[in-house]
Amino acid sequence: MSKHSALNTFGRSGNPAFTRNFENTETYAQSERMTLDGAVNKTAILLALCFAGAFAGWNVPALAMPGFIIGTVLAFVTIFRSPAKAGSTAPFYAAFEGMALGGITVFAEMQYPGIGIQAIGLTFGILASLLFCYKSGIIKPTENFRLMIFSATMGIALLYLVSFIMSFFGSGIGFIHSNGLFGIGFSLFVVGIAALNLVLDFDFIEEGAEQGLPKYMEWYGAFSLMVTLVWLYIEILRLLMKLRSR
Amino acid sequence: MNTILFGILTILSLFVFMNLGKIKASKKQMDRDDRINWGRKRKPNVRQNRDGSKIIEGSAEEVNDEAKK
Repeated sequence: MSKHSALNTFGRSGNPAFTRNFENTETYAQSERMTLDGAVNKTAILLALCFAGAFAGWNVPALAMPGFIIGTVLAFVTIFRSPAKAGSTAPFYAAFEGMALGGITVFAEMQYPGIGIQAIGLTFGILASLLFCYKSGIIKPTENFRLMIFSATMGIALLYLVSFIMSFFGSGIGFIHSNGLFGIGFSLFVVGIAALNLVLDFDFIEEGAEQGLPKYMEWYGAFSLMVTLVWLYIEILRLLMKLRSR
Repeated sequence: MNTILFGILTILSLFVFMNLGKIKASKKQMDRDDRINWGRKRKPNVRQNRDGSKIIEGSAEEVNDEAKK
């Protein structure tokens, strides 16, 4: 037992969603274990559902707000419920979040034509290039790397939350949304952090397959990749809008 | 032109993801001591004393001389 009670409770990871999943892997038969093939195929299913949702959101932009709210609720349900049930909520999350992205992209396209396909291309370009860097060992995620990315992600989330609350009182954190050098620099930083979160997702899936986690963890891995991709797409879209508005 | 270029980039990237994603990561990536511990149970850190007895980190107990007597 460690003298740190938090380590005893949660293990090395601070994320409660990741701690209970790497135990008793020997009890699962070969066909019931997580594989890389399965995780990639399930990510493809979620991406297809997201595109279908985006098609609906594109044609009916009013679906963007309900899609975003329901998608966010489903994301929290998937994170905090047992990972065994991720397969039942992750597809709905992808579809609803797709609706939100479709609606947001329509508004962006109305202001800056052609920006949507640029953001999609850059998002998937980053996904493929970082996957190559991870698989080849160019980027090596370590505990310190994870701590750094986790801290930065939490910092950004906190900043957005404070900005959101301040907006109710008629003020806000100006530089986050500005198209000045500072605003663009901030957006670049956020895109970088969102992209590096992909590396953590790849590592989680790779290790899950190596450890022989139960099959349902394929859905969980695909879901975590999907959440990061959605975030990355939104941040790239924001960055491109800032650049185009100058 | 913009649509064609970024459309090709999207399709190419998805193709790379679908194929590369299914391949196991290189040994350079997997055979490292400093990999992230995603909740795996770690082996206890066992050290040896000069007299041959073992110290297991985190499981040492306080020796009470009074209790021995």
